[in-house]
Amino acid sequence: MPYEKTLEELAARRAAALAMGSPKRLAERREAGILNARERLALLFDPGSFEEAGLLAQSVRPEMAGRTPADGVVSGFGRIDGRLAGANAADFTTYGSSSAETHGKKQGFVRAACEKNGLPLVYLNECAGGRIPDIMGAAGIGRAGEGGRYTRRRSSPVLAAVLGLTYGGGAFACINADLVVMRKGSVLAVSSQMTTSVAIGEEADPQDLGGWRLHSETTGFVDAVVDTDAEAIAWIKRALSYLPDHANAATPVQADHADGDAAALLDLVPETRAKTYDIRKAIAAIADAGSVLAIKDRFAKAAVTAFARIKGRAVGIVATNPMFKGGALDPDACDKIASFIVLCDSFNLPLVFLADTPGFLVGLESERRRLPGKIMNFMAALELASVPKIALVLRKSFGQAYLNMGAGRSDTTAAWAGAEISFMDPAVAVNIVYAVKREDDPARFEDLAKEVAKGTSAYDLAAPFMAHAVIDPRETRDYLARHLDIFSRRLTGAIGDHRLADWPPAF
Amino acid sequence: MKRTTIASEITGKVWKIEAAAGSKLAEDDPIVILESMKMEIPVSAPIDCTVVEILVAEGDTVAEGQAVAVIEG
Repeated sequence: MPYEKTLEELAARRAAALAMGSPKRLAERREAGILNARERLALLFDPGSFEEAGLLAQSVRPEMAGRTPADGVVSGFGRIDGRLAGANAADFTTYGSSSAETHGKKQGFVRAACEKNGLPLVYLNECAGGRIPDIMGAAGIGRAGEGGRYTRRRSSPVLAAVLGLTYGGGAFACINADLVVMRKGSVLAVSSQMTTSVAIGEEADPQDLGGWRLHSETTGFVDAVVDTDAEAIAWIKRALSYLPDHANAATPVQADHADGDAAALLDLVPETRAKTYDIRKAIAAIADAGSVLAIKDRFAKAAVTAFARIKGRAVGIVATNPMFKGGALDPDACDKIASFIVLCDSFNLPLVFLADTPGFLVGLESERRRLPGKIMNFMAALELASVPKIALVLRKSFGQAYLNMGAGRSDTTAAWAGAEISFMDPAVAVNIVYAVKREDDPARFEDLAKEVAKGTSAYDLAAPFMAHAVIDPRETRDYLARHLDIFSRRLTGAIGDHRLADWPPAF
Repeated sequence: MKRTTIASEITGKVWKIEAAAGSKLAEDDPIVILESMKMEIPVSAPIDCTVVEILVAEGDTVAEGQAVAVIEG
């Protein structure tokens, strides 16, 4: 047969690369219930759609050449639920998927192709850090800085899964992603506990250094936490379903959608505004049934940020949650909302603001943690966002938080009948303006509270046309659907200005 | 059975104590209710548990992160 030897060699080289790192390591992973890079990609991409880039790539160091299949990263393109996308999947069985020259070039190739062609990009990451000795010396670290790996322009969605020990470059790729999911047991950190121990003499548990609790509850770097590799990949596919392929494409609208249950809002939201409740249940009732995907659900819980669909249209929902801190927004909540506004604005998702808040959380701790700056970052993101915005006040919204939650600076503003709106809660105003406390003089307090509460109703906002509608809570879903139709078209066909695309990756 | 200290997530005043040492609580049952930002903010059981000790009294001021109860569960 012509080409016989040539083709035999090609087949042998392909087989060696497909075998990845050591059989022992592959077996250990299998036993631990952890998927390898190729199994992960098989779950991510539609069957038969994977087009690999760099199967036969290997280390630039001659002595490593036969031992570095694909140089520790499986890269390429495929279809996710029919949509073309790129992916870089770490092969931890090959030198811990450590960062090295060819390894970096492969990832850069896929990333550049996605940016140029408007394809979503997925990282399935694990990374032992920089490969030694490759990264040592002046030229080693110098090479690491070549290429555009740190540029983040939000031109097409980047989604990352943290699926094991992820240090250095692998961690930075996740930070630069638009959405991050983490499997429990994984670690995301600048460096491992071994480096930490040597560098500063601090012994740390890897989970304390960069585990799921730290990143889902304290840093907010992780948007969702799951138990298995398969769940992480399913989460990525679901999150991607709310986003367009790239910033210049309109957000997909599903023709078929399940109904919401806005009638339930009268029972889900207590009429007495001092009573707390979980606004996530109200959001679930307003949106299409089963369509809500919470983003950073465990972080800064006084704020809720979520993808959802309303009559098939994907939207970003920003809400305050009275269940946590009374719905008073603290510095972390400001960061959470600002980063979500940036995400939605970059990918043309309309924003719906649902305010039920006593205001920003004042006090020593908040001021120390830079609350005024955080409020203004949040406001800057809101003001620069060009996607359709709808602001709705549910029961109450006071002070600067009223403005930050989009009221008066959105395409349209509305309030539930019964909503209270003012500079501050009337009860606080009585204390501050008249120095009268309820416990000292109940009768005078009540008189003054009535006086101060004058002019704080939804109708007082509607009369000067600062609220464009006062609605029955049961009308919420239909109201939002109709106003999303009115305000979503734009002269650009629903493509925003993307003035937030260069916003910092993490802040 | 593991003992856990339950902390307040917000600075405020203890308005009502809803449980006592020995109370058996289900997840999300309130232990104490704080008043802060003119809201009634429950500090709730994170899991099904038994209350070992309540560390605050009605009218006390508590700071963010301050322990308000010890539970076992």
